[in-house]
Amino acid sequence: MAKARALDKRRKSIRNIKKITRTMELIATARFKKAMDRATAATAYTARITQLVKDLAQSGLEVSHPLLENRDKQERGLLLVLTANRGLCGGYNGGVVRAALAQQKELQGNYEDLRLEVSGKRGISAMKFRGIDVDQSYLQFEDQPKFDEVDAIASRYLEAYATGEIDRLDVVYTRFVTSARQVVTTETLLPLGSLTGTDEDADGAGTDSMYEFLPSAASILEEVVPTSFKVKLFKCFLDAAVSEQIARMVAMKSATENAQEIIKHLSMTYNRARQSQITGEIMEIIGGVEALKG
Amino acid sequence: MPKVNCIVVTPEKTALEQPCDFLALPLFDGEIGIAGDHSPMIGRLGYGEMRIKENGEQLRFYVDGGFVQVADNVVAVITNRAIPAAELDTNTIESQLAEARSQPSNSPELMESRDRSIAQARAQLRVAGRQ
Repeated sequence: MAKARALDKRRKSIRNIKKITRTMELIATARFKKAMDRATAATAYTARITQLVKDLAQSGLEVSHPLLENRDKQERGLLLVLTANRGLCGGYNGGVVRAALAQQKELQGNYEDLRLEVSGKRGISAMKFRGIDVDQSYLQFEDQPKFDEVDAIASRYLEAYATGEIDRLDVVYTRFVTSARQVVTTETLLPLGSLTGTDEDADGAGTDSMYEFLPSAASILEEVVPTSFKVKLFKCFLDAAVSEQIARMVAMKSATENAQEIIKHLSMTYNRARQSQITGEIMEIIGGVEALKG
Repeated sequence: MPKVNCIVVTPEKTALEQPCDFLALPLFDGEIGIAGDHSPMIGRLGYGEMRIKENGEQLRFYVDGGFVQVADNVVAVITNRAIPAAELDTNTIESQLAEARSQPSNSPELMESRDRSIAQARAQLRVAGRQ
């Protein structure tokens, strides 16, 4: 009976694991919905800013700003890596860390001084494991990043960029494309390159804008550029949060399914073992009876 | 006069979306009032109080910089933060102001950020103190 009992014990413990993974899946689903709602709510702001930039461009204003131009001097770079605080989300953290290491290698060729900033416990410990020094780490970002927190970091970057402490800022994060597709992306946020909205109406630009600008289009542009940088960075954080929950949802779903399969398999082996034991016992009894007859 | 549709968006959410008779906004150098059929305008906001009047009732918010875009009786307020005046807590703001005052200001950039923090805290105090 020993073997059958051991099998039964294993089956029980797998049942418990299944319960846990199932619960985690449900929690991730609820969190994903919340994070998703936040990300959707944030698009209203982005859309308005894009519209504003478009209207600015139509007024015939030359769109130029120090944040938009590439610098000749390329000495100090900064790499920001967005990972999760928790594990058990499949290849989410691994993918980001791998992409970050590749990007770091590439940047180290061009930049003498490369700073590395990591958000999320998982990324921090991955870097520690590889013996890479992290200049600054953030732990406060969970599934609902606050704009105020991102704003503080963004302002610091803007200041560092303005004073020449950094010449380039790259962010490695998981971009949310659809709920079935998230891609690990490396994006250069500083210099910004171009503002979304300016490139579309390049030829239609004239001086026939219907808007009155207070105080002036140039002054508004001066303010719009840092704002759109902040929004871009905030969107990276939001995307990373949504993608993390999806990754966890998927990982926990397959873990639950796998547990179900193992249970099925173990049940079969358990039944077989029990059956053969019973058969063995019957054989023994019959053997005994036959022997007594003789 | 037609009503204006007032939309307040922050990076986190759409804070407010409602028709109103009149609204007053803090521009970077003074206040602007917007009623129906206002000419199209894009303006830079300062820190201060936004008042929205609708059927004799008044809503008050603190807005934290940003932009305003007026066109076709739609006023889009794009700001970092829009806090209802009732939710401002004088004590917290006082401590923020004290903190801002003690920030170092030994370079032009630091000076600018210090001035900004002080202006923000003062504007919040003004909005909070007016009820």
